Amino acid sequence: MAQRITKTKHLTNKTCKQIAALVLAYLNDELSPRRKRDFQQHLKICPDCVNFLKTYKKTIQATGTLYADDMPSKVRDNIWQFIRSKMRA
Amino acid sequence: MSAENLFASRISFAETPRVSPAGASLAPMKNRAKAVAKNKKGSESQTGLIERLKAGDEAALESLFKLNSAKLYNVALRILGGDASDAEEVLQDVFMTAFRKARMFQGNSQFSTWLYRLTVNAALGRMRRSKKHKEVEYEEFLPKFQKDGHHQVRPVVDWSDTPDEYYGLQETRALLAQALNQLKPVDKSVVVLSDVEGLSDKQIAETLNLTVSAVKTRLHRGRLFLRGKLAVHFGHSAA
Repeated sequence: MAQRITKTKHLTNKTCKQIAALVLAYLNDELSPRRKRDFQQHLKICPDCVNFLKTYKKTIQATGTLYADDMPSKVRDNIWQFIRSKMRA
Repeated sequence: MSAENLFASRISFAETPRVSPAGASLAPMKNRAKAVAKNKKGSESQTGLIERLKAGDEAALESLFKLNSAKLYNVALRILGGDASDAEEVLQDVFMTAFRKARMFQGNSQFSTWLYRLTVNAALGRMRRSKKHKEVEYEEFLPKFQKDGHHQVRPVVDWSDTPDEYYGLQETRALLAQALNQLKPVDKSVVVLSDVEGLSDKQIAETLNLTVSAVKTRLHRGRLFLRGKLAVHFGHSAA
C-alpha cells in the first residue's frame, strides 16, 4: 500500500484530499485543462478516488429522487382557496 | 404516520435523474443545463402574466400559482423537513406576497428566482421561529484523509452500483430525507435547490443572496455529508 501511495503522489501531483476538493468543479466541467488533466490522471491510478467520485455522483442522483413532480390536488385547492379569500376580504 | 412518511408516500420516484446520472462514466456532468433551460423558457412564457399581476389581475395570480405552486411546495416541504401544514402556510404567504408586492419585481432576475427566494425565506423564517431544527455535526460523515493527503480508510468502497430501484424504496428515501433535514438550514436550501430542483449555482446565489463561490462550498459540503450518510446506510465507512 505504501508503495502505491508513493507512486500516486509521484505520478499525479495531486493527493486524494485535493481530488476530493475538486470533485464539484470537475463535475461542473469548470476545471482548467491542466487541472482536469491532473484530476483524470490521478483517477487512472487511484481506485479509491474513482470510487469516491462514483459514490459522490450517486449521492447527487439519489438526492434527485426526492423531487416531487406533483402536489396533492386537495392541498393545491386549499392553498388557492385561502389566497383567494384573503384577496377578496 | 409521521409527516415525513406521509410526504414520502406521495412523492414520485423520478425515472430519469434530474441531474446527470451517476454510473460507470467518470466524465464531468453537463449538469443542470436542461433544467436551467426549462426554467428560462418557463420564465419567458410568464412575462405577460407578470405584467398582468403587477396590474392586480387575480386571474394572472391564479395562472402563476398553477405554474409554480408544485415546485415551490416541494422546496418548502423539503426545507421544513416534510411538515405539510407549514409548507401550505408558506405557499399561502408566498403567493399573497407575490400579489401584493409584484410591482417590486424589477425583472433583474427571473420571476421564478424571485418566487424561490420568497419561498426559501418564508420557510427558513418559519424554521427559526419554530426552533424544531436539530443540526448534527458534519464531521462524522465527511471523508477523512491522512496527513499525506490520501484516504484515511481504504479501500474506499464503491456502493454506487446499488440498483437504481433501491433508491425508490421508502427506507432509503426516508433516510435521505432525514439526512437532508440534518443539514444546516442554508446548506439544506442549497442542496434542495441544486440537486432536487435543478437550479444553477448562479440562480441559487441570487435566490439565497450568496456568492456563487459560497453556494459551491455549501453544496459540496452538503453532498459530502449526504454521501457519508448513504455510505454508512449501505454498511461502509463514511470516510
